[in-house]
Amino acid sequence: MQKILLTVDKVSTWVGQVCAWTIVALTALISWEVFSRYVLNKPHSWVLDGQIMLYGILFMMAGAYTLSKNAHVRGDVLYGFFTPRVQATLDLVLYFVFFLPGIVALTYAGWIFADEALVIREQTNSAEPLPLYPFKFIIPAAGFFLLLQGIVEIVRCVICIRQGAWPSRGEDVEEVDVDKLKAMVHVKDEDIAALDKYVVAQEEAHAAPAGGQAK
Amino acid sequence: MRIKRELWFGFSLMAVILAATAIFMPWTNMTNGHLGLLMLSLVVVAIMLGFPTAFTLMGMGMLFAWFAFDFNTARTLDLMVQRAYGVMTNDVLISIPLFVFMGYLVERANLISKLFRSLELSLARLPGALAVATLVTCAIFATATGIVGAVVTLMGLLAFPAMLKSGYDVRLSAGAITAGGCLGILIPPSVMLIVYGATAGVSVVQLYAGAFFPGLMLAGLYILYVIIVAKLKPHLAPPLPMEERHVELPAEAKVLNDRLSHRALPALARAIGGKIPGVGRGYALREMALTLLPALALLAMLAGTWHLATRPAPVDDVQGLVAMGEQLGESAESAGGLAEPPSDEDAKEAAAEGLKEPPGAAPAASMTSAAGEPGPSDAAAPATAERSQTPDWFFGVALGALIGVAIFYTLLSFVRLEIFKMLLSSFFPLAIMILAVLGSIVFGLATPTEAAAVGALGGFILAAAYRQLTLNVVKESVFLTAKTSAMVCWLFVGSSIFSAAFALLGGQALVEQWVLSMDLTPLQFMLLAQAIIFILGWPLEWTEIIVIFMPIFIPLLAHFNIDPLFFGLLVALNLQTAFLSPPVAMAAFYLKGVSPPHVTLNQIFAGMMPFMGIQVFALFLLYMFPAIGLWLPQVLYK
Repeated sequence: MQKILLTVDKVSTWVGQVCAWTIVALTALISWEVFSRYVLNKPHSWVLDGQIMLYGILFMMAGAYTLSKNAHVRGDVLYGFFTPRVQATLDLVLYFVFFLPGIVALTYAGWIFADEALVIREQTNSAEPLPLYPFKFIIPAAGFFLLLQGIVEIVRCVICIRQGAWPSRGEDVEEVDVDKLKAMVHVKDEDIAALDKYVVAQEEAHAAPAGGQAK
Repeated sequence: MRIKRELWFGFSLMAVILAATAIFMPWTNMTNGHLGLLMLSLVVVAIMLGFPTAFTLMGMGMLFAWFAFDFNTARTLDLMVQRAYGVMTNDVLISIPLFVFMGYLVERANLISKLFRSLELSLARLPGALAVATLVTCAIFATATGIVGAVVTLMGLLAFPAMLKSGYDVRLSAGAITAGGCLGILIPPSVMLIVYGATAGVSVVQLYAGAFFPGLMLAGLYILYVIIVAKLKPHLAPPLPMEERHVELPAEAKVLNDRLSHRALPALARAIGGKIPGVGRGYALREMALTLLPALALLAMLAGTWHLATRPAPVDDVQGLVAMGEQLGESAESAGGLAEPPSDEDAKEAAAEGLKEPPGAAPAASMTSAAGEPGPSDAAAPATAERSQTPDWFFGVALGALIGVAIFYTLLSFVRLEIFKMLLSSFFPLAIMILAVLGSIVFGLATPTEAAAVGALGGFILAAAYRQLTLNVVKESVFLTAKTSAMVCWLFVGSSIFSAAFALLGGQALVEQWVLSMDLTPLQFMLLAQAIIFILGWPLEWTEIIVIFMPIFIPLLAHFNIDPLFFGLLVALNLQTAFLSPPVAMAAFYLKGVSPPHVTLNQIFAGMMPFMGIQVFALFLLYMFPAIGLWLPQVLYK
C-alpha cells in the first residue's frame, strides 16, 4: 500500500517540479522583455499573455505537488496539538466534506470550460495572439492531479487512524531546513549546546536578586 | 500540561465564535444574508480545525454558492471555474512567484554572516550594538528574502550566540531576533502587500510607496528601543568587548598603518607616490580607488542634484519630472523608456526618476526638495532655455557634503577601511538591489512584475557573485518557489470562490447594513476593524485574514471616507503583531528550534512582548500622522 502511495506522490511531485521550472522561463522572458522594451524600444504584445500563462501553469500544476508534501497552509492553532489519530479523523471527514466535492466540481467544470475553448480554437485577444485553449486545459489537469493526490491523502488518513501514526512521505526540499541552514553558517550542535552555560548563569543571576527582594 | 493549555485556548476561541453565532442568528427567520454570515463564522471554525485552508474555502464556498443559486448546478460550476481562471490570469498576483524566487536565491547567496559581522563591527560603538546590528541585518535580509522562518533561524544561529556570549539578556536578544525577522513582511517589496493589493484592488505601486516609511519607522523604533534599554540598563546589553571588535588587517595595510599613518587616505596616497617596502603599487592603487568610492558617489549625487536644480523651467510638474528623468538617464535603462509607461499603471506614475538615482544618505533629502519644487510653470518654456541660477540652498548642501567628506576621511583609519570593504561586499549589494527594485516600481519606471523579474535575475547574479550558484541551489529555489506560490495562489482560488458565494448570499449587504446601523464615527470604525484584525491574527495566518476578511472590510471603507491605501498600511502594520503574539507566533518556534536547551519558549515570548508593544505604538503613530505613509504616494502620484 505504502508503495502505491509513494508512487502517486512521485507522480505529483514530478509534474509539479517540471512545471516549477516555468519560474526560470518567466524570469528570463520578462527580463528579456524589459530589455527589449526599454532599451531596444521594441515591445512585444504577446509577452503579457505569455507571462500570465507561465504563471498560471506554475501555481496550478504545483497544487498537487504542494499537497503531497503537506505544504498547503493550515490553521495551526489546534491542529498541531492534536494526536495523529485526531488529526487524521478530522482530515478524513473534511476531505469528504470540502476537498472532494470542491475538486471534483472544479475538474469537471474546468473540462467543459476548456473544451468550449478548444471547439472555437480560442486565442488571446491581442495584436500577436497566442492560442488560449491549451492554457485553459490546465484547470482540469491540475484538478485531476489534485484529485489523485487527495485520494492518496485520504488513504493516509485511514492508515493513520488504524496505526496511530502518520505514514511517511517522500523527502523534499524544505523552506526552513535547520540542518542545511546550520551548515550554511557553519554552526554545529555542540556550539549551541555550549551556549547553555551563559543562559544558566543568567538565570541564576536573575534568581538571586529576585529571591532577595522577596525577603 | 502545556499542550492542554494550548488546546484550551483554541477551543475556547472556537466556542466563543459558535456561541456568538448561535445567539445572534435569527434562527426563525433566516434570510440568505444570514446564511452568508453563518458561512463566515463556520469557515473560521473550520479553518481552526486545521484542514488546508484553500480547500476549506473552496468546498464551503461551493456548497453555499449552490444554495445561493437555488441548487442550480450549472451556474455553480460556472462560477467556480470563472473564479479559478480569474486567479490564473490575475496580473497582480504574477509578481508573487517572482519575488518569492528572488528571495530564495538571495537567501542561498549566503551573505548573512558577512552582513551581520560587518554591521556588528561598524555599529560597535552604539549602546546595545549587537542587538542593533541584529535588527539592521534582519531588516535588510528579511526585506530582500521575505522568508520569516529562514531569517529567524539564521539569526538565531548567528546573532543569538554572539549576544549570549556578550552577556545580553536572553529575552532582549530573543525579542530583537524575532521582531527583526518579521520586518520583511512589512517593508516592501513584500508579498503581503501584493496579496492585499490584489484582494482590495489597490495599486501595489502605491502600497509599496506607502509602506516604505512606516516600515522604516518600525525598524527605527525597534532600534531606538534597544538603544534606550542598553543605555538605561547596561547589564541587559553590555557593550561589545574589545577583542570582539578587533579587525585583522591585511599584511600590506598593516605595514602602512604602522609605518605611515592610521589614516587610510594620506597613507595610501604616499604609498602610491613613493616606494614603501612590502606594499605594492597595484595594491595601493586598488585600495585608493575603494577609498575614494564614497567621495565619488557623493560627487555624482551633488552633480545630479545641481543638474536637477538648475535645469530649465519644466513645462509642468509631472511632464517636467519625466523629462528630467530622461535627461538624467545616462543609464541604459531609461534611454528608450519612460515615454510609454508600462501596461496598466497610470501614466502619472512615470514621474521623477531623478529621485531614485543613488541610494545615498544625506543628499537624498536635497534631491527630494529639488524635484519637489517645480520651476515656475510656463507652458511655453523653450527646450533650449538657459540653466536657471544655482539656488542658494545648493551651496549649503554642497558645503555640508564637503564637511562630511572631510570628517569621513579624517576618521577613516585602516581598520575602518577594512570594515567599509566588508560592508561593500555584504550590505551594499543587498541595499542597492532592494532600492533598485523598489525604486523602479515606486517611481513608475517598471511594473511590479517587471521589477520582480529583474529582481529575480538580480538574485541569480548575486548568488553567482558569491559563488553559490550551483544547479542544486537553483533547483531547490525553483521547487520552493513552486510550493510557496501554489500555497498562496490556491488560497486565492479558494477565497475567490468563497467571497463570491458570500456576496451572492447577500452577506456583504447584511454586514454593511449592520455596520451602518451602528452609526459609528470613522474613528470608531477604524478601531473596531483593527481590533477585529488584531484578534483574528491569533487563530489565523495573515494570508487567510487578508483573503477572507479584506473583501468584507474594503466596501465599508467608502462609507467612512477612509482611503483603502491607508487602511491597507494599517492592516499591514497590524498583521505584524500577529507574528509576535503567543501562543501561535511562528517566529518564536523557529528561534526555539536553534536555541540552547535552557532557553524556554516563555522567555522568547516575554522578549517579544515589548516589541509587540512598539508595533501597537507604531500603529497609533501611523493613525495619528497618516502622512508617514501617505506622503510619498501623494508626492509621486498626485
